[in-house]
Amino acid sequence: MNDARREFLKVCGLVGLGFACPGGLASLARAAVKEAPPYDGPFYIVFNASGGWDTTYLMDPKGIGGINRLYQEDDILTRGAHKFAPTAKHKTGGMSNEEFFAEFGGELLVVNGLDYSVNNHSPGARYMATGKLDSLAYPTFAALVAACKGPACPLSFLTFGNYSATGNIVAMARIPYLPSLKRIANADHIEGSERSPYHDDFALVRIEQALAGQRAARATQPLLPRLERAEGMLYAAQVNSKALQRVTPHIPASIPKERLAQQAEIALASFKAGVCVSANLSIGQFDSHANNDRDQMKLIPEFLEGIAYTIRRAEELKIREKLVVVVQSEMGRAPNYNGGNGKDHWSIGSVMFLGSRIRGNRVIGATDEKQFAVPLQPQTLACDRENGIRVRPEHVHEALRQFAGIADHPLSKKFPLGLADKDKLQGLWV
Amino acid sequence: MPPVRSSFSVLVAVALLTAGARGEALKPYTGAGCAAMDPYFSDEVWAKVGALECVKCHKAGGDAEDSKFVLLDTSRSQGAARDEAMRQNWSAFTQMARLKEGGRSRLLLKATGEIKHGGKRVLLSDSAGYRILADFVRRVNVPPSAWRAREVAGDKNAPPFFDGIVMLDDRKLLRRVTLSLSGRLPTEAEFAAVKRDGLKALPTILDELMTEDAFYDRLREGFNDIFLTVGADGNADQTFLSYDHFPQRHWYQKFELSQIADERERKQASYRLAREYREALHGEPMKLIEYIVRNDRPFTEIVTADYIMVTPYTARGYGIFEEVKGKFKNLDNGFEYIPVRLHALKGRNRSQDQDSVTGFYPHAGLLSTFQYLCRYPTTDTNRNRQRARVYFLHFLGVDVLELAARVSDAAAVTAKYKVPTLEASECVVCHKTIDPVAGLFQDYWRFAGEGVYGRRKGGWFTDMFGPGFEGEDLPAGERWRALQWLGEHTAKDPRFAVAMVEHAYYILSGRKVLQPPKELDDPLYAEKRRAYQEQRKQTEAIAARFAQTGFNFKNVLKDWIVSDFYRADGLASAASNPARRAELDDIGVVRMLAPEQVERKVAAVFGERWGRLNDQMAMLYGGIDSKEVTERAPDPSGAMGAIQRILANDVACRQTALDFSRKPAERKLFPGIEPDVLPYSSPEADAKIRRAIVHLHERVLGRIDREGSPEVERTFKLFAGIVSNAVASKRSGAEEIYSCRQGLLAPIPDPNYTVRAWRAVVTYLLRQHEFLYE
Repeated sequence: MNDARREFLKVCGLVGLGFACPGGLASLARAAVKEAPPYDGPFYIVFNASGGWDTTYLMDPKGIGGINRLYQEDDILTRGAHKFAPTAKHKTGGMSNEEFFAEFGGELLVVNGLDYSVNNHSPGARYMATGKLDSLAYPTFAALVAACKGPACPLSFLTFGNYSATGNIVAMARIPYLPSLKRIANADHIEGSERSPYHDDFALVRIEQALAGQRAARATQPLLPRLERAEGMLYAAQVNSKALQRVTPHIPASIPKERLAQQAEIALASFKAGVCVSANLSIGQFDSHANNDRDQMKLIPEFLEGIAYTIRRAEELKIREKLVVVVQSEMGRAPNYNGGNGKDHWSIGSVMFLGSRIRGNRVIGATDEKQFAVPLQPQTLACDRENGIRVRPEHVHEALRQFAGIADHPLSKKFPLGLADKDKLQGLWV
Repeated sequence: MPPVRSSFSVLVAVALLTAGARGEALKPYTGAGCAAMDPYFSDEVWAKVGALECVKCHKAGGDAEDSKFVLLDTSRSQGAARDEAMRQNWSAFTQMARLKEGGRSRLLLKATGEIKHGGKRVLLSDSAGYRILADFVRRVNVPPSAWRAREVAGDKNAPPFFDGIVMLDDRKLLRRVTLSLSGRLPTEAEFAAVKRDGLKALPTILDELMTEDAFYDRLREGFNDIFLTVGADGNADQTFLSYDHFPQRHWYQKFELSQIADERERKQASYRLAREYREALHGEPMKLIEYIVRNDRPFTEIVTADYIMVTPYTARGYGIFEEVKGKFKNLDNGFEYIPVRLHALKGRNRSQDQDSVTGFYPHAGLLSTFQYLCRYPTTDTNRNRQRARVYFLHFLGVDVLELAARVSDAAAVTAKYKVPTLEASECVVCHKTIDPVAGLFQDYWRFAGEGVYGRRKGGWFTDMFGPGFEGEDLPAGERWRALQWLGEHTAKDPRFAVAMVEHAYYILSGRKVLQPPKELDDPLYAEKRRAYQEQRKQTEAIAARFAQTGFNFKNVLKDWIVSDFYRADGLASAASNPARRAELDDIGVVRMLAPEQVERKVAAVFGERWGRLNDQMAMLYGGIDSKEVTERAPDPSGAMGAIQRILANDVACRQTALDFSRKPAERKLFPGIEPDVLPYSSPEADAKIRRAIVHLHERVLGRIDREGSPEVERTFKLFAGIVSNAVASKRSGAEEIYSCRQGLLAPIPDPNYTVRAWRAVVTYLLRQHEFLYE
């Protein structure tokens, strides 16, 4: 940790962001006008297929028992350890499974047979995002890792939808339009023009010093916890916002039309600038009650294309090796078609991971021929119908916390997942 | 402890007589005090297990209503009635705790699913909930004296909840209220009244404030944050007014505008007509709320009103313009709303006609408005369940999806039953509540973009629980007015008043009321529970008064405003004890202003809005679009921090020199000082500057500082330091920068850099918590 960052954290600590700080007034004033260094990764992206994806048309193919009308069991394709449904002939755009697994299968870790445990969107989305079903207070993994890893980043936790609770430990940033970042990046200049500062430099420095002094004085007064927290977050937001200037060079000249690509550009520019730790990217309409195959064949390829776009752009920006990708949905689709050619909700599904320090070309867990979850032995990760456990979102989240190195962080401990050690998944990532 | 009523003893006796038939009864303790309710039951057993788990099914209308263990839902009653319900629940638990089977308590065996239990396993044997039940089983078999003396002493030692909390002084409270509810600063007369009469002056001031249009703008905005009706999709005339029932919905396309000679102007007028018509349609539900509150009508009308609000434009769309036009003051005002009753809908063919005994549309407040029904549409598979869900959330404060408990294998349950929502206890627990209400919306069976009113071909679904409400079936004769029937039941439900009080809290504080903590193993559980209970007690007290005073919503706002929860502002001494900090964690309004509120505050303080927190910038500043983004950001991100800096820079730029260009008596910021007063030039000059700072602190931040206070000194040093730096860097003698000297009423030279230094001071103040939060 360099000096500027350390001093910044001292200021935040005094004003309620939860870091220890024995510093004095002079150091506060100095720290206040210094910028925290860029966050250098890893960068976490959670892709969400909102509405409930049909995993049997992606990474957990069946082709039997009437589960799929577009292919039979014999049509199932294989790439390394992965089995997947053939979609090249059925997609109406986007990226087929064939293309996706050919390009990314070697890096991809698939967990099948995940028990979402519920059949409703709202609790399912909450459970998958936080690892906790019965609490509205828990932060999403993306928010938690942002709070632990990059509390000083101005856009530490970006979200474009899906369940995005923060647990009051980090501010959520919504940047719906790329150009809007340009408009606010140079906040101390008229219309963002470098040549037109509002204040002379000496005046601006004095304003910042006065604000830092005021914050430090407030921090010595007895404040209500809520006020203490709010003042700290406000101060941090304003000071940290200066780092947004680093984003603008990475904003592309042209804005892509695709939904996920638009979100990805904002997230990647923010990662590249070192102002962001994590991002929730999401597209909806997967809730294919009415016409499952048509809807899923439109959306899954769009989703995969968005993921591929993100990874390729990360490569161009030279941050791909720092990217950690989680691909999820809040539920699966039932093994049978309803009267309207749709599929209703199903509490069993999958999740995929890809990125730095994740060994790919692996499939963990399984569903049986009727799309029920097969229990898993957490120590060996082998399917074990007799002695295995049902893998639920808290198992995935516990593993994610371990992976990110935040499982023992005080903020993580504030939101325990309640898993016994014997039930934690061992060796999931390597 | 209050004595137990005689009927209660009878219940216990009956239970004991029957116990032997079902299992081996423990020998009950029958000594002195056996009739008194153990507080452990209400605080632990009920709060942590019964209310969270058992009562979902074990109640009238629940899946286990036919069992011998039937409880009362205490959330549906208040005061003495709830005490009685709690006592009855205690009795039921006590009976069950005394029954043994195979040497173990049936209560524990049922909870862990070790003997036949419809709800299967509810608690793990190593869970905190199980331990609580196990403790309870032990306690019902020992003399109460064993636990009572210790616990009563513990309660007595607890300090009052607000002990050591400093309340906002009356003057600041007044400013918070007028800014929050009416977007303005208090008047001198209001300040004087508060100075004279303290808190007692507030109700009268609030009564007056609640006649102002700005208050109703805020009220509509606040309730839209909850109901989100402004976010209904599509062009309002297309989506709200169906092709089948409203042939005049596109009236504006043929509206006579030939009197406008210029073609471009005529086209613009036509566009404006359509825009205002659609906006007025979107605004009707919130205008209904305004009408109810403004006219002191019972707030239950939000679910029972037999009218809707229409304007001259929307009346045309509904096809009733000729009928009601005489009631409008100005037929060209697209936003003049009046209450009217629609006739029962007539379709293009008879099958589309609406059934109605009275000949009128069966209005049921918001519930039956086209806007509400379009905002929460249904689908063939959803079957109005989404509408039922939001109904419970909006009008009874119940999140039914919170009821959704995890089951061991939801997929297996789904596959096992033909109709799981009717047959599987795991599903029935929610669907027995949701589906009957979904059935009440059955005659609004048109999907998004296809209209609103319409019956399902072949009748309503039979593989769902039938239409009704909380165990009561909808009488067949009430089918045509099912939503009115629902509204009437809602208005009588004690949860309605509580939910409305919770909405008021949301409007005032920007956040929801606390939920009961669920983590029984949390070492701070007791403190979090106390925080919840204290707030809940306040909520229920306000709700009781709300119901007793004819459901006047203004009283709810007034009661919250004078409550300790709204006025809590600080601590007398630092709260370093983690337990006390946990109790106080949510205390204090401390709300980051929404974009609309920031704009109103800028207007109140400076005389005009900033005008840039709109559209994309508002979204970036944590605003909502009522469609995709429906919750306001509670804390500032770095992007919002940047916007705060832009706002502070820009508003100070526009307003500082402008204020100096006004006559002193007309100035808002600098009435007592001129730019030629230089720091350190004389003691009088410094005193003048300090007085100017005191005024600015009060104007911008609402802070009342002494001239010698550290805060004034800090601002003074900022001002003086900048002037000094300017002299040293030879920047004196220049004018204000170009952008900051636009629109002045008279030229304001800045030879000493003081105008720019004052601008820096205003920038500094605008970036502070006291301006950006309430």
